[in-house]
Amino acid sequence: MKWQITIMIIVLLVIMATGFTIHSSKPTPLVFKIPPGWPQPTYNFKENPLTVQGFELGRKLFYDGKLSKDGNFPCSSCHQQFAAFATYDHNLSHGYDNSLTTRNAPALQNLAWQKAFMWDGGINHLDAQPLAPITAPNEMAESIENIIKKLNDSPEYPVLFKQAFGSKEINTKRIMQALSQFELMLVSSNSKYDKVMRGEASFNLPERLGYAIFKEKCASCHKEPFFTDFSYRNTGLPVDDVLQDMGRMKITGNSADSLKFKVPSLRNVAVTEPYGHDGRFFFLINVFDHYRKSMVVGPTTDSLLRNRLPLSNYEIGQLTAFLYTLTDSSFLKDPRFAPPGYTITPPFMHVH
Amino acid sequence: MCVWVLYAQSLQLKFVALAGQQPLVLLDSTYHTALNEPVTFRNFLFYISHIQLKDDNGHEIPLKNEYYLINATDAASKTIDLPVKPQHIASITFTVGVDSIKNVSGIQTGSLDPMRGMFWTWNTGYIFAKLEGNSPESKAPVHYVTYHIGGYKYYENALRVVQLTIPQKQTVHKIIIGADVLAWFNKPHPLSIQAHPICHAPGALAMQIADNYAQMFHIINVE
Ligand code: HEC
Ligand code: HEC
Repeated sequence: MKWQITIMIIVLLVIMATGFTIHSSKPTPLVFKIPPGWPQPTYNFKENPLTVQGFELGRKLFYDGKLSKDGNFPCSSCHQQFAAFATYDHNLSHGYDNSLTTRNAPALQNLAWQKAFMWDGGINHLDAQPLAPITAPNEMAESIENIIKKLNDSPEYPVLFKQAFGSKEINTKRIMQALSQFELMLVSSNSKYDKVMRGEASFNLPERLGYAIFKEKCASCHKEPFFTDFSYRNTGLPVDDVLQDMGRMKITGNSADSLKFKVPSLRNVAVTEPYGHDGRFFFLINVFDHYRKSMVVGPTTDSLLRNRLPLSNYEIGQLTAFLYTLTDSSFLKDPRFAPPGYTITPPFMHVH
Repeated sequence: MCVWVLYAQSLQLKFVALAGQQPLVLLDSTYHTALNEPVTFRNFLFYISHIQLKDDNGHEIPLKNEYYLINATDAASKTIDLPVKPQHIASITFTVGVDSIKNVSGIQTGSLDPMRGMFWTWNTGYIFAKLEGNSPESKAPVHYVTYHIGGYKYYENALRVVQLTIPQKQTVHKIIIGADVLAWFNKPHPLSIQAHPICHAPGALAMQIADNYAQMFHIINVE
């Protein structure tokens, strides 16, 4: 009888112990807030539920050079918070072994609403996006196998994966889902423009006039609230003879898509210079001059821009004032998005 | 006991890589295509999925869908144990490639892990089949011949369904299927290495090559 009781007790202890571990390893859900008036996000959160631990792991990975071949090119080397996660002051970004990207790094914001990624929309899921920079020889130049090995060899990552996903296993899917969790939280919805829309602030005169011009001349493509309609259009940038970038056509194989690029969001546009898919415009005024003077109208140029986009100096002044209201300084300084361990955003980092 | 039960319950598919009638020899052998172009092969792999078996009465035998990556250089990958008890089988049907839903839902695990190298990163989607080698006829760098075939969107759909009938009326334990690389160059769209040493993206050429490789399978034997 005695041994039966002992076994009973052991069994009970084991059950309690497993119960305890299962309980203690359950990650804490993280709430994704949809800003008032915005549509439902496109990203399927059911497949990758946000948790505090998953988000923190994603943030650590985003800032970790281990994801690149020589340790120097984490995601954050090209996507800098103070530039709304674009590359500050670089038309093209620097990658492994003194190489350059072939396109301008866009801001990373409001990605949960985006259906396709990159200037040509070639990537159809946020989770699949990191594979492109990680394996590209002119970006991070690394392989997934090697990253998994490096992360497994590190003292902290296996534990962090366990906290986020329930076991220490590190695989492609988990790495990508963690990165997505971080990126999905990059919501910018607190600019002066947003405050005005919520009735918490008001535009000054130039901003108000600029908004009216914007709605008339720009909003059909740069549609509110994302300041893009997520379509692909040719705005008459002549093709660069070195880069030979045909844009959307590379993805669809359809000549009607030649020289079409994704309409970029204009949120935080004041800090994301240079502009255009290859960063050829260094200042906003260059973009305006392009629209009104230098556009090359070709067979696939957007029908809205057949006669270019006439803008007076006066209108440019008002438009600029309005575009500056799209800067969301709380997003640019949000400590949740800074490198792990920082309580304030780091000073300007310049990686070459 | 357990092992015996598992064994008894499974029906095995075995793929054999061929060049014409002979087993494919990678790297060392030069073959000639239908257009008489010389070529040596280095790499040959493809996905199969949606395997369906029909019994003598034409009834489908229920099977859960799985994705298998058959790799000429990986012996284990060429044998598939289906959880079906040995019985009379009239035909086998399978898809070469990965259906669209798996191409649009982010990252998968197992045989579909992008780490397997059968995934385009710049234009999301699976490479359904790969054939790589060299040919003096190729004008690509290092005379490479590189066919990466895929495409799940309706206008560039390279998914192909293959049906093979099993002539013997017998209890089937094992079906041995040949996959002939030379068929890639043959019918219905004769493929010239000189004209097309490389196919790296979905589109018209990829769909034609997929039409060709859909013809590469035949049943060598049933045991
Ligand atoms: C060497 C610089 C560089 C590195 C490193 C880099 N990126 Fe990028 N990123 C870019 C460029 C350039 C683009 C635009 C590419 C294009 O459109 O073809 C881009 C585009 C993106 C986009 C698409 C945004 C959109 O709106 O379509 C996302 C998301 C992104 N990067 C996330 C990441 C993540 C996550 C990492 C780390 C795993 C990373 N990037 C590493 C330069 C970089
Ligand atoms: C026909 C659609 C369309 C209209 C109308 C339009 N844009 Fe654009 N805009 C685009 C596209 C597409 C791009 C990207 C072009 C490229 O790089 O190839 C772009 C790029 C920009 C950029 C560069 C942003 C960046 O981050 O690179 C700015 C700034 C801009 N537009 C402002 C405006 C303003 C202001 C107006 C109104 C005066 C306007 N646009 C009207 C489609 C449009």
